[in-house]
Amino acid sequence: MVFYLSGSLWGTIKNIQMGKHHKNLLNNLAELRMAKGLTQQELSESAEVSRKSINAIENGVYVPSTVLALKISRTLECSVEDIFNLPGSS
Amino acid sequence: MKLKELLMLLKGLRAMTYFRRFLLLFICGITQIFFAAYLLLELFGLNLGFHISNHGYMFIPGVLIFVSSGFLTAAYYLGDKNTNNSLYDEYTAMRYYKLGAFGYALNGIGIFILFSIQDWSNWNFQSANRMIYQIASFAWMIFGILLVWFSLGDYKEYTNG
Repeated sequence: MVFYLSGSLWGTIKNIQMGKHHKNLLNNLAELRMAKGLTQQELSESAEVSRKSINAIENGVYVPSTVLALKISRTLECSVEDIFNLPGSS
Repeated sequence: MKLKELLMLLKGLRAMTYFRRFLLLFICGITQIFFAAYLLLELFGLNLGFHISNHGYMFIPGVLIFVSSGFLTAAYYLGDKNTNNSLYDEYTAMRYYKLGAFGYALNGIGIFILFSIQDWSNWNFQSANRMIYQIASFAWMIFGILLVWFSLGDYKEYTNG
């Protein structure tokens, strides 16, 4: 029962975070990726991570490291600020 | 073993996939949960309706972990870079950290409870010995739960996430 409760609590927390944006980071990754004509798999191979990482970033579940953000921006040929922004920044 | 057979075996080890990792960790985890839960219930004197008479069987989870760790390590160092990039990326590492922290907390709570339920007024060598076994089997069970939890979550994310 403890595990059921902790699982459902964790699910609730995840659902709160499951918007497109993470509470600490806004992103345009999905739009920019699709504009480039890339699938999540293709982008993940180029950025040297798993596809689920790309999906997690796009859905605001995960905030990438600086290295990963730079690798993604290199693949999409844009600046990191074009993909990621802090909430409240213009 | 012939050189050709050895090369074939090493080639097979290179091909680690999400499913194979899931299978390895899940089997190890479930086996640990079974044996650790059995030991814990026996220590609390609960009648399970069966008894493992051959104590050699208690080595099964340890051997499984040892072999699986070796297999995963070999696959990591012999595997190709692209597979490793996917299997061991920073998002997966975050899952390890979160689950590790959760397991650490569970162990802390469990050990606290195990300490609390001891009969300290009639404390003797046997009681101390039994408590050490209880703590060990509890921590062992938590380790198994973490393995199962990680393997299920990781594979589910791979297929749906």
